[in-house]
Amino acid sequence: MPRSKTKVKPTAASNTPTSITIRMYNVGFGDCFLLTFQYSKEKRHMLIDFGSTSAPKDQPKDYMKRVAADIEEQCGSKLQIVVATHRHRDHISGFATNGDATGNTIARLKPDYVIQPWTEDPAAKPDALTATVSSSTRSNPSAKKLKAQYLGSLKAMHGVAAEVGEWAKKNQGAVEAATLKQLGFLGEDNLENLSAVSNLMAMGRAGTPYYVNAGMTLNGLLPGVKITVLGPPNLQQSDKIRNERAKDPDEFWQFRNFWASQQQAVARTASRSPSVLFPRNVSRARGPNVRWFIRQSRRIQASQMLDLVRQLDDVMNNTSVILLMEIGSKKLLFPGDAQIENWAYALANPSWTGLLKDVNLYKVGHHGSLNATPKTLWSAFKHKGEQGTSDRLETLCSTKPGVHGSVDAGTEVPRSLLLNELQKESDFTSTQDYTAADGLFREFTIRV
Amino acid sequence: MPVSTKSVKKPAKKMADKAMPFYPTRWVTVLAMDPSLIVDGKLLRMKIEIPNEALDDGPRGYRAHIVDYDSTTDTFYRPLKIQKRWNREDQSPLDPFEKLTDRQLLASPAFHSCMVYAIVMKTLARFEYSMGRRVGWSFGGHQIQIAPHAFCDANAFYAKEAQGLFFGYFPALDGKNQIYTCLSHEVVAHETTHALLDGLRERYTDPSSPQQAGFHEGFADIVALLSTFSAESLVARLVDLGLPHTDRLEIKASGVTPKKLRNSALVGLAAQMGAEISGVRGQALRRSVQLEPRKDYLASPEYEEPHSCGEVLVAAVINAYLDIWISRMVALGKTKLNRQRAAEEGAEIAERVLTVCIRAIDYCPPTDLQFSDFARALLTVDMELNPVDDKYSMRTKLFHWFIEFGILENQPARRGREPGTWDPPESPEQFLYDRTHFDSMKSDKDELFRFLWENRQLLKLNEDAQTRVCSVRPCIRAGRDGFILRETVVEYVQQITLFARELDRRGIQTPEDMPGHTEVTLYGGNVLIFDEYGHVKYSVGNSIIDPARKSVQKKQADRLAYLWRAGAFTENRSAASPFSQIHLRRAMDWYRSVRSPEE
Repeated sequence: MPRSKTKVKPTAASNTPTSITIRMYNVGFGDCFLLTFQYSKEKRHMLIDFGSTSAPKDQPKDYMKRVAADIEEQCGSKLQIVVATHRHRDHISGFATNGDATGNTIARLKPDYVIQPWTEDPAAKPDALTATVSSSTRSNPSAKKLKAQYLGSLKAMHGVAAEVGEWAKKNQGAVEAATLKQLGFLGEDNLENLSAVSNLMAMGRAGTPYYVNAGMTLNGLLPGVKITVLGPPNLQQSDKIRNERAKDPDEFWQFRNFWASQQQAVARTASRSPSVLFPRNVSRARGPNVRWFIRQSRRIQASQMLDLVRQLDDVMNNTSVILLMEIGSKKLLFPGDAQIENWAYALANPSWTGLLKDVNLYKVGHHGSLNATPKTLWSAFKHKGEQGTSDRLETLCSTKPGVHGSVDAGTEVPRSLLLNELQKESDFTSTQDYTAADGLFREFTIRV
Repeated sequence: MPVSTKSVKKPAKKMADKAMPFYPTRWVTVLAMDPSLIVDGKLLRMKIEIPNEALDDGPRGYRAHIVDYDSTTDTFYRPLKIQKRWNREDQSPLDPFEKLTDRQLLASPAFHSCMVYAIVMKTLARFEYSMGRRVGWSFGGHQIQIAPHAFCDANAFYAKEAQGLFFGYFPALDGKNQIYTCLSHEVVAHETTHALLDGLRERYTDPSSPQQAGFHEGFADIVALLSTFSAESLVARLVDLGLPHTDRLEIKASGVTPKKLRNSALVGLAAQMGAEISGVRGQALRRSVQLEPRKDYLASPEYEEPHSCGEVLVAAVINAYLDIWISRMVALGKTKLNRQRAAEEGAEIAERVLTVCIRAIDYCPPTDLQFSDFARALLTVDMELNPVDDKYSMRTKLFHWFIEFGILENQPARRGREPGTWDPPESPEQFLYDRTHFDSMKSDKDELFRFLWENRQLLKLNEDAQTRVCSVRPCIRAGRDGFILRETVVEYVQQITLFARELDRRGIQTPEDMPGHTEVTLYGGNVLIFDEYGHVKYSVGNSIIDPARKSVQKKQADRLAYLWRAGAFTENRSAASPFSQIHLRRAMDWYRSVRSPEE
């Protein structure tokens, strides 16, 4: 399995696309992009993400099925490449084979290549037990062990998310509604998505899977298209940009350990009848002098949980694949939901920041959240400018307001500050502006 | 010293021989570190001396209430029923847990409650002893509420808005045991320190600079570490870990070197401490001894992160402590060293260093604290009380380590002063004292404000800003030789809110890209130390704006730039307690530290 090879044999048709069409589907809060590369004699297709956690407004309930059907229609019988940038539900729920079973539609298209982050590699088994190694091995674990610990953490995070989601359902009315709504959303988005994950794995097995990290090139998957992977960094790469103190394997272990204990802790919290610590000491009476404090405790517990899921949501976003595609003189950038921690490695590499300068189309990271479009990246784009600028930067944002974050807290997604900037400096399109007339998608064409 | 810590070996009963109208203290058994520290097959315990009082069930006392409510299971545990013999006033009350086996201790929620109560009270007593006065909580109430089993979560914190301390518990990774954060001596002392420091300096939780953000954590770590080291049983363990042949009463002095103690004793102790609890508290102990002395930490971008920043301060103080202790041991025996004596000295020195660290807060400016301010405050306050630094050369060693870690610069002292101390006011004779009454000034903020107003030019008060006297605190401190020092500590804060577009005009550089309509608040303020005759001895702090000194405007500009970079103006605040968040971030350090400072 060419998991980490960087060279791919060019396919027979070694011509260059004359244009690329990007279909941005309106999937509410989620991502779904179908790229069609137009060659002189044929079309080739790449699907980047297919997921949603909140339905688009004015769309029928079975919008995901309709999107799948449209993808199938566009592709005919063949989809060349599937990219699942990261595990979040709003990026991969469409690959699931249960429920709406839209994943079966995609599987029928027999993708040749399935691109996912290195963290999805089934050959690297997360091993939760390595966390309990003795202190001597702890200070000198092998790279393999570190990797297993990291993957173990990701797995534990799904566990935390699942439990938090349950807890939020159980506590309707007991805590502030806004907090619960956020907990519910983040909990659900970070579920393990087993059906989608196994379908992606199966599709990969049927074709060729690529579990990528920063620095790999996937040239030749599509003739005339250079693909550079800018993220996510693998652990060794993250090490290079991390400061000295954080290179300490003990810290790493602590991180793993932290999520493992959180998973167990939250599981206890969400369980239907959590066992009490000291059954023989339980008191039914609660004096008036403690009622206020008890209310405070419950409120604090909810906000703590929200903080925890926010953190794990960030970690998960940062496993996003960042793809830079070069077709002739045109460049397209698809960063998934990568946030600054993921971008940091690519942005520390001057030759890559050089490459990023003349990007023509940018898929706005993380549905328009502020920290997914790093300032360094945004200021590097030289095609941005006032309306009327020739060859102006095109920006595409798939989002739905009122789902993630809150305006009061300045964490709303999409972030208005960023949207203003995008509108001012680029040809900006957001799925939130689609009207009924648009139907399921809008199309954008880039001529090479 | 009215309140001290002794090892288990000192029987409490002896103290209780004689009946008296009111016996002022009681001895309580607690764990020396946490349940993971086992010596000779047993939990390492210690007895601590705390103020005696007639406790209510809970325990509930005059400053702390245990409320054993678990919000995860929505369960309220029966409060500890206080028996008569535990509430004696004519002699030291009995210690309810002295005779319990290790297993009984760990399984008893009543012991958990009592241990937390005792460490909270002990920490409070340390603060009150060091400050020479009562020390209040920040939230206005007098009794802090404490939940020893607050929720199932690997976290513990102080939440001001809930007027309480919350200690979580979580399942151990082996799946068999529970880890109780309330049973970690360090964790409890650390959280209590947050609550007390917040009461002493309310503006230290404001977003200001990496050092101010790091100070709360660093200071709480210092108090927690030195509190545990002030137990002889624990320090004896340090000695043992660092040295060979611990079965002998006397050990070779040549075996005691700073490097050996640093590397084997403290790191060894850190390794013994519960790995799981370190997920909650970080590893202050190990970090503080492993951080190599370097002068550029605080200037480097990765130390903008509050925890890393705080560790630099911890490292300087703990290294000074070790240095003082080792020189003391060397002085005691050229070739051979008595093990017990070494431990006693270690504990006593920890107590002394801790006292001066706490005392230093009174001499720290009320806003925008930098580590150098703390270091100078510490050296000054100790000099005031112990003018001759003879017994341990404590100040010389602290000064040395502050320089080694880049906290202070090695500048010669002014004539008649010690290096690193605050300078007294330039023209003390110009202060106007005849319009106010010092007796009233010791308790009346309005009277004190009049003094400020009458002397506004000399104190360089900004007249556009709002000025508020935050506290007036008379105190009586006792020196090592029984010498008594009376002082009145006054804290006032100035603040002014401007639009960003008004900054340039006042000589403050506007942060890059900050829109002109952004409202920014600038803070300034001083601490005034009055001597017992009512004269200003020190005036230490930060001007809000001072056209004569560009450095003032530069400091304000740096603060705004840091806050702007850190996103403080987006009001991106979680509803969670700031300490809960900061502890979570600490556990997430590994991941967070890839954040590039630029973003």
